[in-house]
Amino acid sequence: MDQLPNLGREQEMLEVIGLKTMDDLFSDIPEEVRRNDPLPLRGPQSEEEIWADAQHLLGSNVNLDSRPSFLAAGLVRNFVPTMVPMIATRGEFLTSYTPYQPEVSQGMLQAMWEFQTMVSELVGLPVSNVSMYDASTAAAEAITCAVRVKGRKATQKGVVYVSQFVPPHRLSVIQNYAQGSGIELRVLKHDSDGRVDLEEATSASGSCAVYVEQPNAFGELDEGIVKLKQVIGENTALIVGVDAVSLGMVEAPGNYGADIVVGEGQPFGIGPTAGGPIYGLFACQKEYLRLMPGRIVGKTVDEDGRDAFTLTLSTREQHIRRHRATSNICSNETLIALMGAMHMALLGPEGLQKLALRVAATTEATKRVICRMPGVELVNPESHNFREFAVKLPGEAADAVAHMDRAGVLGGLPLGEWWDDMSDCLLIGCDERTSHSDIEALASSLKSWIAEVGE
Amino acid sequence: MSDIFEFNGAEGTGWSQPGPIIGDAQDTIPKSLVRAELPKWPRASEPELVRHYTWLSQRNFGIDTGFYPLGSCTMKHNPRVNERIVQLPGIDRIHPLQPEHQIQGLLSIFFEMQEMLEICSGMDQVTLQPVAGAQGEFTAIRCIQEYHRANGESHRDKVIVPDSAHGTNPASAAMCGYEIIEIPSGDDGRLDLEALSAAVGNDTAAMMITNPSTLGIFEPEIAMAAEIVHAAGGQMYYDGANFNAILGKTDPGRMGFDAVHYNLHKTFSQPHGGGGPGSGPIGVKSHLSEFLPAPLADREPIEGGGGATGDGYRYFWRTPSRTIGKVQQWHGNAGAVVRAWAFYRRYGRELELMSEHAVLNANYLRYRILNPDPESHDLQDIHAMPVDGAPAEVVKHEFTLSMAPLKEATGVTGKDVAKRLLDYGYMSPTLYFPMIVPECLMIEPTETESREVLDKFANVFLDILAEDPELVSTAPHTTDVRRVDEVQAARNLVLRHPCED
Repeated sequence: MDQLPNLGREQEMLEVIGLKTMDDLFSDIPEEVRRNDPLPLRGPQSEEEIWADAQHLLGSNVNLDSRPSFLAAGLVRNFVPTMVPMIATRGEFLTSYTPYQPEVSQGMLQAMWEFQTMVSELVGLPVSNVSMYDASTAAAEAITCAVRVKGRKATQKGVVYVSQFVPPHRLSVIQNYAQGSGIELRVLKHDSDGRVDLEEATSASGSCAVYVEQPNAFGELDEGIVKLKQVIGENTALIVGVDAVSLGMVEAPGNYGADIVVGEGQPFGIGPTAGGPIYGLFACQKEYLRLMPGRIVGKTVDEDGRDAFTLTLSTREQHIRRHRATSNICSNETLIALMGAMHMALLGPEGLQKLALRVAATTEATKRVICRMPGVELVNPESHNFREFAVKLPGEAADAVAHMDRAGVLGGLPLGEWWDDMSDCLLIGCDERTSHSDIEALASSLKSWIAEVGE
Repeated sequence: MSDIFEFNGAEGTGWSQPGPIIGDAQDTIPKSLVRAELPKWPRASEPELVRHYTWLSQRNFGIDTGFYPLGSCTMKHNPRVNERIVQLPGIDRIHPLQPEHQIQGLLSIFFEMQEMLEICSGMDQVTLQPVAGAQGEFTAIRCIQEYHRANGESHRDKVIVPDSAHGTNPASAAMCGYEIIEIPSGDDGRLDLEALSAAVGNDTAAMMITNPSTLGIFEPEIAMAAEIVHAAGGQMYYDGANFNAILGKTDPGRMGFDAVHYNLHKTFSQPHGGGGPGSGPIGVKSHLSEFLPAPLADREPIEGGGGATGDGYRYFWRTPSRTIGKVQQWHGNAGAVVRAWAFYRRYGRELELMSEHAVLNANYLRYRILNPDPESHDLQDIHAMPVDGAPAEVVKHEFTLSMAPLKEATGVTGKDVAKRLLDYGYMSPTLYFPMIVPECLMIEPTETESREVLDKFANVFLDILAEDPELVSTAPHTTDVRRVDEVQAARNLVLRHPCED
């Protein structure tokens, strides 16, 4: 066993302690709960054998880069600059823990402070924490945070309105996190054209918070959302979930009245990784600072007056406040946030804009080709889309996806998986790497399915 | 000092990207939504950033830098092959919503990990979805909550935790809506059954406890505690933060627990990465398994064998019938699960050996510190010896020391000793936890430290106890920065760079 430096030296160490056998080390475990037989597991392997098995098993997966892929739905097939994993996995970063000892953790603390700054700039709000687990838990904890802050003044006690078109998996996370605080989640209705119904939204005024996404689950940008804060008023928090890349072109929610902005950080820093580890963005107005979840880094000085960084406002956290903490979050996603910071810094302002433009371009190019096809129509014909768009097909979308799969194309997400009444709808996702030939492959495989359905 | 916001190259330079595939994409954004001003991110080139982040890394302490005896955090070596494996496109370039037949290899790893963790914990069903230990706690308590509700027992609104519990335990239960009953430990630091009996009742939903406790000692009466809680109709929850001590020696199932969480970033070496990512799978007994988050990995034999992985099974996702839904949007931290799988494969059925060495190292270091070698240390020079946080013949994977005698003799606090250790190139032990031990240092060496490292650390520790109190109480002296003004950090909040033009 190559991971145990004291293997074969047990006896000499036991002798020092005054014990005879390794079993003596476990003499405090009562016989009634002792396991006396070996674990019924496979035998140990060498590094070489593990690597071979990993190559075999993971190699049997179909990876997104191996075919035209139009599956996004909240995670993106991005390109991560080579520098990012190479430098972020330097052992000093990789193998450190939460920087409780700032004197020997200035590197990660400064990197996280820089991360906070870049996220703050990105979304247009003054405060960012060092990450949540993912977009869904960021949204969920934004809601519980908003209720803590706005609860007292709210006329609709404990009520939060959530957009009708939040992906159900994210909504489920929100429900699990909200139920314990006695929060009542109500649906914020959208018009038949997919946009938030601003008239209906007036009924949310006086509630604790409103949660909407820009773009929504169908990739649709909603001009009405910039007016939402005026509709719901000062005493109701506006929480906006964003596609982080879109903010290279689309106005930052902090600039149209958002109180809290959340979103998936994954497009910056790491591949989709089968859903994790990724990281959630969480930024807010100062009003929420003392009741927000997660870790935060502040700049200060050391005894000699030198600039120094440290974790701050820890009295909100579970290790100090215990059951009165603002969240139970302890381990977070710092290393992935570090990767995100590196990616953001490499892009710079114009690089971000260009990245957003590339995604907008592939979205538009794909949309034009697909929507020209007979039998296919946009779910909301007038919509402006970023990254994704939903189309109605002449049959079950799951069948279409299976057909396209046989043609070597990952055609998107059948929306029946999310909403029963949308089983004939397909969510098509694009990214900066979508090419004209990918679009052709998508179109021709979809066309051959439509022809089959029509027969 | 390297300041990323001082990099300010020319507009449009920096990391290169291909152009947009069509020319008029800017028109796809409604005019009223177009961003007025771009974020003030730095404008830097790759060489500048590589140097900046390398400089930052050199100002950061990790396991790779030196001994990291941070109690309760299990800072063991992170095998490097695991990092190589997660760069494979078969995990890095996978979308969790891909059709099952495209991700058979991933599903088979998930299934193998569920099964292995079930065996090691004595539970019936594991889910890998929770992404951190605290989220595992939250998830399990949610399952217990729905179980009680399904049985018409929703009046059970209290969760019991010992006063030595990790802060996440009460925080997680409170997030589910439970009232917390904290019970005092006995004088010996162990679970007090009388206090427990007095606390349980018709309103008990669950008890949350870790064993070995945060003092590093095994609770001998744990099975009795489980009986008391069960007799009152409550459920037993096992905080698996300290699993590294017991693998193959005992398991929570035998102790009478109904639900447990694992910390794959502790026991199974997912790197801690400056605070995360983690992974916090939970295991439950069969009466709770239908409440678990969806989906679980499952499999069925293929007639005639074969299959994508060649093992004769078809793997698929299964939704438990009364699932609580999701706690993370996808399938958890799959990358951490794959690393933990690679770590597990190294040991296989010999995981027991890992726990044996973790416990051997803890007991050895404890002995070496508490019994100074007269040849290297003159006892008269030591101002005051620490005392054991709890009396015990043997400890498990960690132990606690109270520095109260030193504070009394010289004014030097536990924190001062911790800071002085930094000068010698060691990470500080966990400080002032558990709170029931005054001036507490909590030390966990893990199985991956050699005897020589432990000897050297013990000697340095004892040297510090003999040092000039002034020198120790003003430590650290040799680090990148000296003691940081945390009061000013909280009073005068500077949470981002001003980014002025």
